[in-house]
Amino acid sequence: MIRVFGGTFLAVVFAILLGMVAIATGGADSLDAYLVISSLLFAIGMFGFLARRNAISMLMSVELMLNAVNLTIVAFGAFVEGLAVSGSVIALMVMAVAAAEVTVGLAIVIAIFRNKKTPLVDEYDAMSQ
Amino acid sequence: MGRAPGHTPVTAERPDVAIGDTIPFTTIPWGDALFALFAGVMLLSGLLVVTMRDIIRCGLAMMVCFGALAGIYVIVGAPLVAAAQVLIYIGAISVLILFAIMLTETKDAPSRLVFQTQAIPAALAAVLLAIVTMLAIVATDWGELATRFHTATDELAKVLFADWILPFEIVGVLLLAAVIGGVFLAKREREGEGPR
Repeated sequence: MIRVFGGTFLAVVFAILLGMVAIATGGADSLDAYLVISSLLFAIGMFGFLARRNAISMLMSVELMLNAVNLTIVAFGAFVEGLAVSGSVIALMVMAVAAAEVTVGLAIVIAIFRNKKTPLVDEYDAMSQ
Repeated sequence: MGRAPGHTPVTAERPDVAIGDTIPFTTIPWGDALFALFAGVMLLSGLLVVTMRDIIRCGLAMMVCFGALAGIYVIVGAPLVAAAQVLIYIGAISVLILFAIMLTETKDAPSRLVFQTQAIPAALAAVLLAIVTMLAIVATDWGELATRFHTATDELAKVLFADWILPFEIVGVLLLAAVIGGVFLAKREREGEGPR
């Protein structure tokens, strides 16, 4: 019981702290805030891609990084006058390409899993033997 | 005015709602409060995606992260991108990833160690990247980029189907190729019928 509520409490406190970052850099009406949170999300995704062992975890981290870049594009589109519509269109294109990427990536992971019986990337060492 | 068509300031389009611009009894604007909420939820669930041990929970946290990001898209003034985010990421990509997780789950080797040996250098590199990019963002003077513009969806449709029609069609072909490639890669090969 204490574990569940302690974890929830910690999560809420941490979310408020992270939200404070967004406010401290200028709030919803400043470009800085959007760029800062998207760079934080990109760093989180990069950590996940470098640190996780599971291939699908790595793909999820790639998705986080793609979303961070998408947020940057949309934010610039919303604040730069000449880019307003093109920013949204580019974001939609990125989403479509991300869908194609994740389809092929997961198919590759499943095909490797069928041969090696493991989703952990550090056991895919056939090329280094 | 001198503005390109379709770029109207957000303040001009804000509807006259009864709840007011700020949270009742405070001076905090709704936009800032919701933005902080969505940003906090997004970053926290992003952290959970890369740190939790149970990979199914990682996938569910990723859906929360994408949903909060859709909220941020609404606040920044791109509602169509937010709708596409919900449809494509939460509706399609997350479900695909959850199915792949279930297909590749190994019963015999539940690995307790979810991190590589290089996790600590990776964490240092990520923190360094975040600090450097945040310093660069804060130190840059963005100058006149202080007004937020709202993207009108009909203008977006005109631009998408006029100026961007070639990339749009190419993306369609790319998606078809990805679907065929995915089916081919993930297809179970029959006995005695090797790849040619």
